[in-house]
Amino acid sequence: MKGAEVIQKLDEYLTGKELIVSSNGNVSRQVYTLLPQPQVYLRGSMGLPVSIGLGLALSQPKKKVIVITGDGNFLMGLSSIATVGSVQPPNLRILVIDNETYATTGCQETVSSALNYVEMVKGMGIKSVVSIDLTKEKEIPSDLFDKFVIKEELQVLHIRVEIDDINLENIPWHPIEIKENFLNR
Amino acid sequence: MMVMIAPEHFLSFLSDQGFSLASGVPCSYFKDTFTSLEESTEIYYIPSTREDEAVGIICGYFLGGQVGFLILQNSGLATIGDALTSLAQLYKIPLLMFVSYRGLEPDADFPEHLVMGDVTEDVLSAYQIPYWILEEENWKSILHQAISVMNDSSLPVCVLVKKGVLSQ
Ligand SMILES: Cc1ncc(C[n+]2csc(CCOP(=O)(O)OP(=O)(O)O)c2C)c(N)n1
Repeated sequence: MKGAEVIQKLDEYLTGKELIVSSNGNVSRQVYTLLPQPQVYLRGSMGLPVSIGLGLALSQPKKKVIVITGDGNFLMGLSSIATVGSVQPPNLRILVIDNETYATTGCQETVSSALNYVEMVKGMGIKSVVSIDLTKEKEIPSDLFDKFVIKEELQVLHIRVEIDDINLENIPWHPIEIKENFLNR
Repeated sequence: MMVMIAPEHFLSFLSDQGFSLASGVPCSYFKDTFTSLEESTEIYYIPSTREDEAVGIICGYFLGGQVGFLILQNSGLATIGDALTSLAQLYKIPLLMFVSYRGLEPDADFPEHLVMGDVTEDVLSAYQIPYWILEEENWKSILHQAISVMNDSSLPVCVLVKKGVLSQ
């Protein structure tokens, strides 16, 4: 299974009310194309999607905030997981689409393959963490996204995926438009 | 010697201006400010692990409809370049930053601050960030100006804080 297929599958579980922050590069393009609009599509600020999701979750405590991030972005801002573990916002959840590469810039390796995400994230104070390898699977276990989207609990879901071979077009909205559309939703 | 700005007055002024969250990494120039922040019931404070993370937190908070401010040492200015240019400035997100101005005369014995002290204002100018130097006298009017430029432009602005102004 590829990252885009995981994101597409997530769509079936969303109510449309969730606020989504997506990391720069392919992930934002996929989220723009495959999930309800508008969301916070990051064009830059690599490493910051989790911190932006944390601020958003604190600002909108009644809404569920989902951060969808590549492993490169997640690892660049890894210490934000410690901050999230300390703050414990129950309305925040983080989905790591782990293709073990910086796919957007030409699939250079990240250090992800060496890591144990469950131990790492638990060690930073987040109790609810699931790590699953879907590289060889065609289906997503049906209860996986159910709990991830519905349960009122801080969660991290780490999914190992195959590298995407499709390259989507750039997001046509200027970042100022992304912000304004999101503020007006 | 001027009397420093009382941290509780400083924070309640910011709270009255609508700021309800603060994040950043401490500097001893802000020692009293952080003590008050940790005790504040009006402003929620998140100690960040890095300054760029704090930019992310405050920007996310703004996208949810609320306003926070950033507090950091000028050494941290060197950490937040990409967060400013490709997030706050790119998306036009207003951001009030309090940055300690290390590396001036009182820091003669702190060589680690000297280079950044020399270039701090140049760095802000290069990033096209309007800045003010906080003074004990007129501090409210300086903050009013900074906040109004921030709101009118919907962009980051910076208030530089020298030794003794916000903390003994
Ligand atoms: C600070 C910074 N360094 C490098 C880049 C170039 N860059 C853009 S996307 C990207 C890869 C992101 O990797 P990941 O989060 O794993 O997502 P993927 O591309 O695998 O979908 C990189 C390195 C950047 N935008 N910002």
